[in-house]
Amino acid sequence: MLTSIISTGLAMGAIYALIGITYNTMYSTSRVMSFTAGQLGMLGGVFGALFILRFGINSVVGFGLTMMVCAFIGVVTELVAVRPVLKSIEQHLYVLSTLALALMISQVVAIEWSTEPQAFPRFFGTAAALIDEKFWFPVAACAATVIGLEVLYKHTLTGRAFKAVAEDNLAAQALGLPERNLRIASYALAAMIGGLAGFSGGSLLLAFVANGGLLNFYGFVPVALGGLGNNRGAIVGGFGLGLFQQAASFLVGGIFASVAVFSLFIIVLLIAPQGLFGAPQSRRV
Amino acid sequence: MKLTRRDFAKGAATAAGLSALPLARPAFAQTEPLRIGWLAALTGPSSAPAIGFDRGVKFATDAINAAGGVKGRKIEIVTRDTQGDPTKAVNATQELISQAKVHAIWGPTNSGESLATTPIMARAKMPNIHPCVIDTLIDPQKFPNAFRITPSNSQWDDAVRTYAVKVLKAKKVAVLADTTGYGVAAVKASVAGLQKDGAEVVYQANIDATQPDLTPDMLRAKTAGAEVIIVWSTSTGLNARMFNTRAAMGWDVPFVGHPSMSAGDIPKLLEKPGNWDKVYAVGYRSCSFDANGKLPARTQELVDKLKGKVDLSDTLMWWVAGGIDAVNLIAKAVGDSSSSSDDIIKIWNSLSNYPGYFGDITFSATEHNGYPVNDVVMSAANTAKDGMFRLAPGY
Repeated sequence: MLTSIISTGLAMGAIYALIGITYNTMYSTSRVMSFTAGQLGMLGGVFGALFILRFGINSVVGFGLTMMVCAFIGVVTELVAVRPVLKSIEQHLYVLSTLALALMISQVVAIEWSTEPQAFPRFFGTAAALIDEKFWFPVAACAATVIGLEVLYKHTLTGRAFKAVAEDNLAAQALGLPERNLRIASYALAAMIGGLAGFSGGSLLLAFVANGGLLNFYGFVPVALGGLGNNRGAIVGGFGLGLFQQAASFLVGGIFASVAVFSLFIIVLLIAPQGLFGAPQSRRV
Repeated sequence: MKLTRRDFAKGAATAAGLSALPLARPAFAQTEPLRIGWLAALTGPSSAPAIGFDRGVKFATDAINAAGGVKGRKIEIVTRDTQGDPTKAVNATQELISQAKVHAIWGPTNSGESLATTPIMARAKMPNIHPCVIDTLIDPQKFPNAFRITPSNSQWDDAVRTYAVKVLKAKKVAVLADTTGYGVAAVKASVAGLQKDGAEVVYQANIDATQPDLTPDMLRAKTAGAEVIIVWSTSTGLNARMFNTRAAMGWDVPFVGHPSMSAGDIPKLLEKPGNWDKVYAVGYRSCSFDANGKLPARTQELVDKLKGKVDLSDTLMWWVAGGIDAVNLIAKAVGDSSSSSDDIIKIWNSLSNYPGYFGDITFSATEHNGYPVNDVVMSAANTAKDGMFRLAPGY
């Protein structure tokens, strides 16, 4: 039981954390919570299975193509669902526009792919007990993403420009930073992280259209728990959620596990409305 | 010419005599085609059954028309693709009744659509045959025009329970299903039936079809001492995960339940082909191989007729056979009557042991569930061949 809680809990936690980072990366440059994050996770699984299993493309090339398609969808999200509503962001129209795009993605996948789960290929071919890649691949992908983002944000000019736009959009523009291009790039990057979540978790979640809604929902929990825009919080929140959810499945079973997860979520938000790692919002008086 | 009083009297008498004769019916009424409305979800997510039924419909129609039709009347199938959408099914039903003026309707092919179309057809007194499983769709008082030629949900439940308790001799049973409305209702009905039959339900749960790891629920069932797990889910992903989890736990408990456990999608989702052993799904005696690999004589005759004409490799035989039976039943009712709605319904109400390919169909004025309950059997899920399965052990 403990083995299952740790192995599956960590794997699911890593997937939730990656989706949380997807939400945060999109949010950082646009101040928009894009509800396409979970759908990108689903697409990572679907395109991975499409390229590698159905088209018979080499696994590494298939992975690269999956990332490219996800990045393209990220750019389309920015152009279609985010940019048109940025001018009136205080009206929160992005909720409607990103949800509508998410729904469209889901419908197209249901019609063109399948409404039933499809098999996902083993990327490394390890399927025995605890060294099964379905347990460690999402964790490794999450670790690689965290390290990659640290390098990007701290050691590259583009990464610093991302941070500048995230911290003060107007000041960044005044300094001559290409804010619009940086926002498009951040959406492409976020979409690749979302796609990586679905691709690395494909053996666990399968290539299944219903994963979009699941990841949208559970991927948002670490964002809320960890504090909006806080990647470290999303990682801690994601792994905590995965472990708690799996433990609750053992303790209360079936659909009651979801009830337990959301009860805890509500309790945490009642105690710390800004999230466990978020700073309290300051107000000019 | 001068009209005399006698001439007028003669003419009046002749006119009166002619008017007393019955008017002859227009000749076209006897030779017009027999129009059958076919509400089929041929595209969309739940299209697999309708595609199979459609092959049977086309085969039966071609066969009857090639033999001269129904008393000289050709059959014309008026197909409407509902895409599994109840709204489209309702619109198509109204169009078939008021504009296409069909004589009878076959379909829709899923219960969600049928729940929407059955009252409309009842109001129009449109003779209707369908293959949908929800029990409430058949009610001779409310819907005297609606007839079912496939088993109902409770007939499936009876077959599964009987196999688990009487054939596998299980005293402790776990019941698992998905979280859909169907899954929740199916667990309740199944648990009630098992308890009535004296079996102990040691664990029951509704599981989300996206849940990646089923070890918690399977472990609970094992710890509770389940000797059989009854499954009510249409999700092939959930089913395959259950089979994989059972193997990972080193447990050999049999699974008994919903036909989707024998779906063609399952093997691709299994970690090992052997994980599909000891899985018994609802099947039908007419479409099952016996222990020697033989089919019932009538089914073998049909398979021989279908060879080279109808592809059975990617569908289920009972769908094709059901499509053939539906067309044949409508043709028989029209052939034996004046083809009015009332007459078609009257003929079906008196149908006794009609030798269909899918099963012997019997209807009466008070029972419109026509499929013989004893012909609902369990199949070994991993034995599919040409859309048919081997009977589960114990038959």
